[in-house]
Amino acid sequence: MNKKIYFDNAATTKTDEKVLMEMNRVALENYGNASSLHSMGQQALEEMEKARETIGKLLGAKAKEIYFTSGGSESDNFALKGIMNSKNKLITTKIEHPAVLRTAEYLKEKGKNVLFNSVDEKGIIKLDELEKNLDKTDLVSVMHANNEIGSIQPLKEIAELKEKKDFLFHSDMVQTAGKIKINLNKMNLDLASFSGHKFYGPKGTGILYIREGVDLIPLIHGGGQERKKRSGTENIPGIAGIAKALELAEKSREEEMNKQEKMRDKLIKSLSEINKSKLNGHEKLRLANNVNFSFFGVEGESLITLLDFEGIQVSTGSACSSKNLKISHVLEAIGLSHVWAHGSLRISLGKNNSVKEVDFAIKKIPEIVEGLRKISPVKF
Amino acid sequence: MYSDKVMQEFKHPKNLGKIDDADAVAEEGNPVCLIPETKIETKTGLIEIKKIKKRDLVLDHKGTYNEVSKTFKRDYKGKIIKIKSKLGTNFLTPEHQIFAVKVPKTYHFHLYKNKKKLFPDWFHANELEKGDLIAYPILQEKKNKKYISFEQKRKKFDFKSKKIPDKIKLNNDFLRFAGYYLSEGNIREKVGKTYLGLTFNLKEDFLADDAIKIIKKNLGIEAKKKKREKRNTLIVEVNNVWISRLFLKLFGKGAKNKRIPSEFMILPEKKQKSLLYGLWMGDGYFNPKKPKAGYSTISYELSQQIKTLLMRQKIVPSIYAENEKTVNGVKHQKSYRIHVGERKSLERLAKILKIRFNVQKPTVTDSWFDSNFLFIPITNTEKINYKGKVHNIEVRNKHSFTTESLTLHNCGDMMKVYLKVKNNKITEIKVETFGCVSAIATSSKATEMVKGKSLEEALKLTEKEVADALDGLPPIKMHCSLLAVKAIKKAIENYQEKNKEK
Repeated sequence: MNKKIYFDNAATTKTDEKVLMEMNRVALENYGNASSLHSMGQQALEEMEKARETIGKLLGAKAKEIYFTSGGSESDNFALKGIMNSKNKLITTKIEHPAVLRTAEYLKEKGKNVLFNSVDEKGIIKLDELEKNLDKTDLVSVMHANNEIGSIQPLKEIAELKEKKDFLFHSDMVQTAGKIKINLNKMNLDLASFSGHKFYGPKGTGILYIREGVDLIPLIHGGGQERKKRSGTENIPGIAGIAKALELAEKSREEEMNKQEKMRDKLIKSLSEINKSKLNGHEKLRLANNVNFSFFGVEGESLITLLDFEGIQVSTGSACSSKNLKISHVLEAIGLSHVWAHGSLRISLGKNNSVKEVDFAIKKIPEIVEGLRKISPVKF
Repeated sequence: MYSDKVMQEFKHPKNLGKIDDADAVAEEGNPVCLIPETKIETKTGLIEIKKIKKRDLVLDHKGTYNEVSKTFKRDYKGKIIKIKSKLGTNFLTPEHQIFAVKVPKTYHFHLYKNKKKLFPDWFHANELEKGDLIAYPILQEKKNKKYISFEQKRKKFDFKSKKIPDKIKLNNDFLRFAGYYLSEGNIREKVGKTYLGLTFNLKEDFLADDAIKIIKKNLGIEAKKKKREKRNTLIVEVNNVWISRLFLKLFGKGAKNKRIPSEFMILPEKKQKSLLYGLWMGDGYFNPKKPKAGYSTISYELSQQIKTLLMRQKIVPSIYAENEKTVNGVKHQKSYRIHVGERKSLERLAKILKIRFNVQKPTVTDSWFDSNFLFIPITNTEKINYKGKVHNIEVRNKHSFTTESLTLHNCGDMMKVYLKVKNNKITEIKVETFGCVSAIATSSKATEMVKGKSLEEALKLTEKEVADALDGLPPIKMHCSLLAVKAIKKAIENYQEKNKEK
């Protein structure tokens, strides 16, 4: 069997072996319940607090500002619903991950004033629109970088607006942790969401950063774990795993991102040479591991299936590949027409990818695009 | 998601490509699917789709105007779907996509209690049934025009009339007067004596006075009030050629062609209330006891514009055309009735009309608004045989447009079939497909299944047979994938048609 080339690291990553070993150790040695008063319970608690400390340091936050959750979606739900429970106005963007978007729509249905800020054709938030609508806003939620097209959002500029208007600022940082240097305190964020499995950590683990003094109601009620903010017996092996994963990712971040950026640029350069192709997203303000291309007259589901036959694992924003035959909301928000959006392809690189794999994809993609165009009645 | 057979067929597809010297060709899923008379909402009013040109601005499903980038037409023979709602009736090909909410049939009661949970989506015309909800966009464009400018060029015999201001304030007063005029006004054009007249009921003295006051204040012209006791009318006469010309320019010539200028249609909703007040006081009625309200006009365009204005106020309108008729020897022209009967809507309208209104009886609520759409139920659908031209347009960026009663998508699936026929048998067949895994797999399978068969046998091929041969398809993919079957049949029919002529 062909060796698979995994180019879908924005969807999830392969868990690092060192992370698994750490989780294994914790699960076998410290399996006590952190709420128990006996020594085994206390050891588990210690393990967890050590992880919290590590994560706080890596993200520029106090340990007590770190809350463990079950993943990115829970963190986003927790932040938005927890804050908006007693508030009225929320501004977010049209290109957020569904975990934010659907939650915002839900809040809107519940009668909250929710605005969906536009983005430009490169997928960067329109700041003038945000500034114009900022009056009486309670919460602004803008992702750090987009999962589909990799556009990095100007969080610094948005945080600066806090000097003029008083609002809480949340960011979904699921795609950027371990890829871009994050200092939550300096970035002047009030809330931030993270997910372990996007940086080679375990699935089902997440973090919500809540700045000290920010009050929100819990999403999950129960035994009062996580300082009464998030109940449920703590997933100590998972927590140790996410901390280890973040530590490893941070340690190799600069070197790794340099490497991936070079591979990304090589892909972009080669794919641009295909007739009637176009890069989606921003050329510069872009995640080091994200490539998103559209090929006119080609349908994305067919494209990724043919690539799968070659062992290459990628994804598409084509309507045909979605559950409801709708094109990706992100591609729609950047104003991509249906024919172009149909032919979109996302490659997201990771630390396990090699230049050799990139070269193989560069050879295969044009062949497959050409083949599909040959049998397509869409002429251009 | 797909069966092994679908994947196998996709991996090793047959008969893909084209035949240069084909005996017959057919396309399927082309975005050309409305009958020529279908009226499309554009920035300058409703235009029949056959008359729509490139660069016309049409209303999209988000309530904004977008440029037409392409127009299409083709011959069509087959079923078309008639879809009727309170906003009107449209005829379209079965695969055309409509922005709507599919209501599960067991869900009716629940739905009306949880209507806010509805999210519209695109559905094929033939999937929709009575009771499903059309999502119709509310015009979102907004521009607060504060003045109307009007150039007054003197012609012969114009010396009698006093000039009016070049820049006329477009304020609430003017809009109220515009409403009176649209309902009750007419213009006589005679050399040296051109005048604008408003005909009120004798009881409507306060309206006549209001009109006279506005003309004086806004345009600086004195108007006369004349009582015609016998006819039970009260006439306000404005003897001024400039005012007459201004109103002709703004509102069209003759009662049948009356219309609201496009820049009035996008004024802020608050200002438009004055226009609605004027219109309703003129030709409308409001019966708080029934309760119901309505407006009647012989201008099709005006009736559609009032629909748009009402929707901007979140008032649910319904429109009926009443055919020409003779009552007591008096001939009535074809007219359009706008009806308001829903409670919340009546409350809103009463506020605009400054009428006191407390609902006693509960009224039926079957339509409602969110911030972007009016959700209005389909009252009837029907399949009809049709032969003739069908049209479609492609819209830049938004890929949707609006007819008088539906929100439509302009995007189609794409498939093209080529045939070679010898001795009444399909000797060669090729297909070009722009589509997903299942579209390619079914194209391959379907062509394989008819290859070598007689035309009559091939025509018997059903969509189900192809789907079954592939161990089934995901339900959502059925429609677009099985276009191949339709395209093959169409190609055969094209071949038979062509050879009959010979």
